[in-house]
Amino acid sequence: MPRFKTGLMNGLIDGKGFDTTLVLLSLGYLLVFSAFPLIFNLIMSFQQVDLFSLAQLVRPFVGWDNYRDVLTRPESWPIFLNTVKFVGISLLAQVSVGFALALFFQQSFPGATFLRGLFLAGWIMPALVVGAVWSWVLAGDYGVLNYGLQSLGLVRDKIFWLSDPAWTLYAVIIANVWLGIPFNMILLSVGLAGIPDDLYEAAKMDGATCLQRFTTITLPMMRAQLGAVISLGTIFTLQQFDLFAALTQGGPANASNVFQYWSWQLSFENYEIGQGSVISMLMILFVILVAVVYVRSTRHEQAS
Amino acid sequence: MSIKRIILLALALVFVSIYLFPLYWMYITAMKGSTGIFAYPPSFWPEHPQLAIIEVWQRHDMGRYLFNSLLIAGGTTLIVTVMGSGCAYVLSRLRNRWMDVVLFAVLMMQVLPSSLMITPLFVSFEQVGLTDYPRTAVILAQAAKMLPLFIVLVRATFLQVPRELEQAALIDGNSRLGAFLRIMVPLARNGILVSSVLIFLQSFGEYVYSRSLISERALQPATVGLQSFMGPNSSDWSGVMTYAAIYVTPILIVFVLLQRQIVSGLTSGALK
Repeated sequence: MPRFKTGLMNGLIDGKGFDTTLVLLSLGYLLVFSAFPLIFNLIMSFQQVDLFSLAQLVRPFVGWDNYRDVLTRPESWPIFLNTVKFVGISLLAQVSVGFALALFFQQSFPGATFLRGLFLAGWIMPALVVGAVWSWVLAGDYGVLNYGLQSLGLVRDKIFWLSDPAWTLYAVIIANVWLGIPFNMILLSVGLAGIPDDLYEAAKMDGATCLQRFTTITLPMMRAQLGAVISLGTIFTLQQFDLFAALTQGGPANASNVFQYWSWQLSFENYEIGQGSVISMLMILFVILVAVVYVRSTRHEQAS
Repeated sequence: MSIKRIILLALALVFVSIYLFPLYWMYITAMKGSTGIFAYPPSFWPEHPQLAIIEVWQRHDMGRYLFNSLLIAGGTTLIVTVMGSGCAYVLSRLRNRWMDVVLFAVLMMQVLPSSLMITPLFVSFEQVGLTDYPRTAVILAQAAKMLPLFIVLVRATFLQVPRELEQAALIDGNSRLGAFLRIMVPLARNGILVSSVLIFLQSFGEYVYSRSLISERALQPATVGLQSFMGPNSSDWSGVMTYAAIYVTPILIVFVLLQRQIVSGLTSGALK
């Protein structure tokens, strides 16, 4: 039977055009809903955007005014420091606990894989629910964490995790580390499983101690993997929003506020959308920078 | 079984229990009722276990919230699966300069934080009138957030399907589309399924977009409902934990059933 399809249709479902169509479907979608908003955001950060000009297509340009305005506010520096602290401490804690657990579960005992998998239950839960559960665990008067710390004799007075400005940021960090541990542990386990056993055997025969084996074999062999979890961890930590919403709302008085939450507050609570775009723009640039470094390093790794 | 292995197993159980304690605490608190929770020191076992599932469900209209969550998660998963599978397949088969650029772009889109993207998304949705259909708006935005992850995960699956099978199908007279739908997709079925489940679960707990785009209560998903329930002065922690337990128990059941597949899917995709 002769084919009646037109050349174009034929090309789309059969020829070279087939691949292009499939890729363009997704790529087009991402261009409309991710890349375009990105450019839109860049433009808005140079415009005056408030509730009145929201619906207008043409808005007055104000040059660098939004940037100057936001970055000279008294709260911007403390919030920046909070962001650095939040990312730094979260990463340090979740990578080291995750690494320790990965090493532990690498040993052979019955149920090791199954028990390790249970940790991912934390990862699969909606972060907002995790925040709700932690805000009850961390509650000042009736919280179970305070009870635990007091009965272990670690603290004398109850810590008001969610209202004492000295502690609120750490409250969010604790919950965030809890969320991040499983991911780190699983990825690092994959790396550990890839280290050949005979390396350890040989080192044992040479009389290397446990610590020596760790520093001369495990750590160097895990360099790429550690780099991966640190860059992915930075990206995920900067995405964290739900925990702030559930635990402290950035308060009290911005004591636990970070850039990603502040940007949202500026846009959706103060309706200073131009200013919100500025913070969002700066953060997105930083996240993309980290991602580029990460992707380039993995490509390099595969090429060599 | 040697002593060492028994000690290791015991230690592992201790670690798991410490880690999962918050989950345990959620369920225990839900069972304590509204007065039992204010005992101090707290009891680690409910003395008079009671569950207020029906009461909490009705008082907070959880059926409607959960329906909206399901709708958002379902819509997102549908868009992502239909669009992403094809793209993932091509990216696994072709390797040239252009495909490298596409893959790089996809990876970059994956890292854009929702809380930062919502500002421009909100303003542009407002301008084209999409905010009149807030749940659709959330689905479209969430699909853009999830699509890259899906492509990365499913591409890893397609990489494992041998090329010969596809070539055989083409020689048998299938079109490219036919070979893709009849041979490739069925062979990559497991990977596609697990990735879709992951996307579904992630979107089932979506919060930022829903909070910012949906102002009408009747259209909000369960995360936003939980947040407004918690409020600044809420002391009904047993109720909040009951709500949380109703919400996450189905998620945890799916997780336990698919634990092995989820772990292997994640690890194969995340590092390539």
